[in-house]
Amino acid sequence: MSSPLLTPDLDEQLDLQAAPAVPWELVVWDDPVNLMSYVVRVFRTYFGYPKDRATRLMMAVHNEGHAVVATGPRETMEVHAQAMHDYGLWATVRRAGE
Amino acid sequence: MTGSEIHVPMQTIEAQHLAELVEQFLDLLRETEIGADAALNRLTPAVYPEDADASAEFADATSADLLDRRAADARVVQTGLDSLGEKPDLRDELVLAPSEVDAWLRTLAALRLVIASRLGIEDDPAPDPEDPRLGVYEWLGYRLDLLVEAADELDEL
Repeated sequence: MSSPLLTPDLDEQLDLQAAPAVPWELVVWDDPVNLMSYVVRVFRTYFGYPKDRATRLMMAVHNEGHAVVATGPRETMEVHAQAMHDYGLWATVRRAGE
Repeated sequence: MTGSEIHVPMQTIEAQHLAELVEQFLDLLRETEIGADAALNRLTPAVYPEDADASAEFADATSADLLDRRAADARVVQTGLDSLGEKPDLRDELVLAPSEVDAWLRTLAALRLVIASRLGIEDDPAPDPEDPRLGVYEWLGYRLDLLVEAADELDEL
């Protein structure tokens, strides 16, 4: 285990804690290539969503052109976006409400 | 129930074709500069479509790793295809461990994305129905769908 070389600035930490939690969204977009069964499986296995929720999200992507698949801190949504790109899904990140 | 493995029927000739595609895919990943190829661009989409700077920053930090993971996945498929026919009682059948399934799914899906990009699946006019690549694209879709089904069944056991 290593120890921190610098003592963290307590005020800065408090500032971080006080920062407003602006939610971000992970959006998955429809494409003509990825199979429905595959997209359901990705939503189910990666996010741990139950099959019916994963299926509803896939249908929303298919019918409406896109769907918000996850919401949370920006950094987390970026990690999810990378994972979706690993699976070949077309995923983007945006601030909630945009 | 076959235990914790997935058995995928596959003729030797199919495995040879797939191995060629995977080899070409590895060449593409090795030899192509990020941003210089439409198919690679599709595999590394802009994460902030409204913000080119933020997207570029994200891509600089992540795209090379993403393509490395793609190559690692493709090599899992390559190894699996090489093992086909090693067991005399399992001719024309691939046996996948659960830990290999995601690499297979991602690679088959990626091959479809690359071929779709080359064919211009989204373009108007639609690709020539006689284009042999269209047959390969459909075959990969059929294979991927079967594998998803088998993997889903394994999860339910």
